[in-house]
Amino acid sequence: MRRAVGSVPLLLMLFFIGHAKETRYSPPGKPKLTSCRSPEKETFTCWWEPGSDGGLPTTYALYYRKENSDAVYECPDYHTAGENSCFFNKNDTSIWVNYNITVVATNALGSNFSDPVDVDVVYIVQPHTPENVTVTVMEDKDGPFLRVSWEPPRKADTRSGWITLIYELRVKLEGEEEWEEHRAGQQKMFNIFSLRSGGMYLVQVRCKPDHGFWSEWSSTTYIKVPDYFPRETSVWILIAVFSAFIFFILTWILNLKSNSVKHCLLPPVPGPKIKGFDKQLLKNGRSEEVFSALVVPGFPPTTSSDCEDLLVEYLEVYTPEEQELILEEGKDLQEGCLKSKGSPSDSDSGRGSCDSHTLLMEKCGEGEGKEEKHQERAQKGKRQQKHQTGWEEGDVSHTREDVLSPDMSEGRVKTWPSVFSPLPQYSSRPLDHQGSLETARQLCLSDSLFPPPSTSSHLSYNAKEGLALGSGQQEFYLGKKQTHPSNPQSQPRWHLQAHSDFNISSMDRKQAASGLQLPGFRSTEYVEVQRVNQEDMVILQPLFSSSCQRDGHLQIGQGEDYSKVKGVDSGNMLLLQREVEVKREEEDGDRYSCDIQDRVTESCYTTSTAASSQVTGKPTSCAGTAMPVQEEMVLAANGYVDQNITSVH
Amino acid sequence: LPSSFLCVTVSAVWVGLVCLLFYSRLVRVGAAPICTNGQAGCHILSLADLFDRVIQHSARMHGISSDLHSEFEQYFFPSKNHIGRVNRICHTSTILTPNGKENAQRLAREELTEVILKLLVAWRDPLWHFQQSIAHHHDFNNFSSNKALEMSDMVHELRKGVEKVAEKMQMLGIISNSVNSLTSPEALIPSDRAEWRLMKDYVLLYCFRRDSNKVQNYLKILKCRIIPQHEC
Repeated sequence: MRRAVGSVPLLLMLFFIGHAKETRYSPPGKPKLTSCRSPEKETFTCWWEPGSDGGLPTTYALYYRKENSDAVYECPDYHTAGENSCFFNKNDTSIWVNYNITVVATNALGSNFSDPVDVDVVYIVQPHTPENVTVTVMEDKDGPFLRVSWEPPRKADTRSGWITLIYELRVKLEGEEEWEEHRAGQQKMFNIFSLRSGGMYLVQVRCKPDHGFWSEWSSTTYIKVPDYFPRETSVWILIAVFSAFIFFILTWILNLKSNSVKHCLLPPVPGPKIKGFDKQLLKNGRSEEVFSALVVPGFPPTTSSDCEDLLVEYLEVYTPEEQELILEEGKDLQEGCLKSKGSPSDSDSGRGSCDSHTLLMEKCGEGEGKEEKHQERAQKGKRQQKHQTGWEEGDVSHTREDVLSPDMSEGRVKTWPSVFSPLPQYSSRPLDHQGSLETARQLCLSDSLFPPPSTSSHLSYNAKEGLALGSGQQEFYLGKKQTHPSNPQSQPRWHLQAHSDFNISSMDRKQAASGLQLPGFRSTEYVEVQRVNQEDMVILQPLFSSSCQRDGHLQIGQGEDYSKVKGVDSGNMLLLQREVEVKREEEDGDRYSCDIQDRVTESCYTTSTAASSQVTGKPTSCAGTAMPVQEEMVLAANGYVDQNITSVH
Repeated sequence: LPSSFLCVTVSAVWVGLVCLLFYSRLVRVGAAPICTNGQAGCHILSLADLFDRVIQHSARMHGISSDLHSEFEQYFFPSKNHIGRVNRICHTSTILTPNGKENAQRLAREELTEVILKLLVAWRDPLWHFQQSIAHHHDFNNFSSNKALEMSDMVHELRKGVEKVAEKMQMLGIISNSVNSLTSPEALIPSDRAEWRLMKDYVLLYCFRRDSNKVQNYLKILKCRIIPQHEC
């Protein structure tokens, strides 16, 4: 019972405490002025924030004081600007005057003042957003651009200069996040360039007084840019096309002039100048043909060729009155040799001595002439050429000594380099000289005109350098000189005497020949035409004197005697005369000439001169010239056939 | 050599292309110089140009004064409450100045010009002394002292500029000739010259900031009233 009584006051106390909290009142909380703003610098509005109301209805009042005045005024308009605001109209607004504003919250229990705020209207201007924002697409030479235009907010008086607004706009492409802002200053229009073709743009504008706050952004204006082709790219494309065109032109010109350019940059290497060397053949890659062209057909002698290769030497038969004939013959033969060669007209190619007329034209006894010949020979690249050159040189020395008084008065002295056909001791060693000469060369057999046989200083050739003969059987016809006719046993020495110094006028051979008066020439031997081999080579063989001797033993075993040239017919054929009878000349020794009626057609005898000349040989002392018959040669001392025999290729 | 010829041709072509490319950008229009005395070869400053220059000057002046005022307020008066109770009495409060748009538009051009000149004249000496005191104070950095010096000079220049504008206007017959007589500093400055000497620097800056704004605004109103088509 007492416990229940003691708990009741406690419960009552709790109940009252509870109730007391619910019905507690307090004076209002402190309001707070949030901001004051003037849109046009003629009016302004202040907003405040109310505090707690204390549970009781609270009223708010705004009071202000002007600068340097103690008068307190209350807000004239609480409603125009909305809740918890105070609007100052034009009459109540003074510019450049400091307002001291205070808000008071009042309720039944009390009031509360807010903190005062000093406001000068000039510095709280925040205009409205610009109006009539229009964006248009304009065309320019560089492309389209946007023209944004707007108007100042309606209430801002910029016309009288009372307020000065500066504007700012921002642009962005639809879908982007970043805005592109531009200051427009005081102008009410702005151009935007460098647009993306076909893009959708968003534009906004705002403004600010020279001393104040920025307005809010205007509502977004959408604009679409039409499709266009950017000018910058087109300019670059034009430049690229133009430069490419120029480049192609230059390349084409360079290509055209490539040869000259190549000639300048890479001078051509001088090619070989070998007579008979065909560069085209070489380029074609057929070296066999190239080298075959250089090969003289008859050299090296093949098996199919005649067994007796002809080593042509220029044998000159020296007879006083028939000298011209001989020479004529020789010339014809030379010409024949020339023609038969059929070599290309390469001036610096080597030629055989019998080939060129020019060779005959050169001065005699001059090494240079010989040098030239030597060079020509060398160009041929044949050993035999060189070899013969050596011979010639060697022979020249001999000849110069020995040849007596060539008739220099007659035209030019001709050097006949190939005259020297060394054939010393041939009889003894006909085959030993094979190695030297490998090709059947065309040597114009020439026999120098010797002085009377008494002059034993005939040209004697180095036996070692005898004519290099081809393989085996070679035939050459030597003028056998019998120095000692009275010595038949003496081994005839075959000497091919160089006809180095001989006056032959190539201009007019006939005349020269006719006028040529060789000194007392005593031919020592006769050459007999042995036969004509397959290759149209007149094979001569010396005739033994015995053949001319009546009582001698004719050692001619083969063939016939074609030692006498009857003439050259119209067909440029050398007509050899076979002489059956042996004539005897009064001047010199016996002379044997066998009339040969056979015609020897040789291609090399195609000479222009159609002089009928007879080659007569000078009889050598036939007596007692017995010569051992050689295998290849049968030499008879019948006479000489002065001819140039060229082997036909 | 054809190769060298080609090289020369190619290089010449490229040089020509480059030159053509840049030629279009090299064309520029030259601006005629500005002269004040009507010399030959330059165009005479018009009234609009003079106004623009003066207004630019005043704008700059006002900007400097605002900067200095903020600097002062930041370092010397952190408490706002303290600011509220300071009695800011400017020595130029005796000069009647319109404090509203209508009031300013109600004034005649000559009166408006006079007000501007009065203000500018009134501030020449105080600013000069202010600049002197700042230069000797170690509290201020060089930047502030330079600004104060520039401000002082600018007031002087601005006054001369406005006087030129007034002369121009009088020459053009826009305003009457009564303005010049007011330029005497003795007549404008209040008799109690010691008043401004007591002003503290902060109050001085506060007052000058406001007065420079007034000058700028009055000049704009004057300009838009006289030359309405030019940026008004």
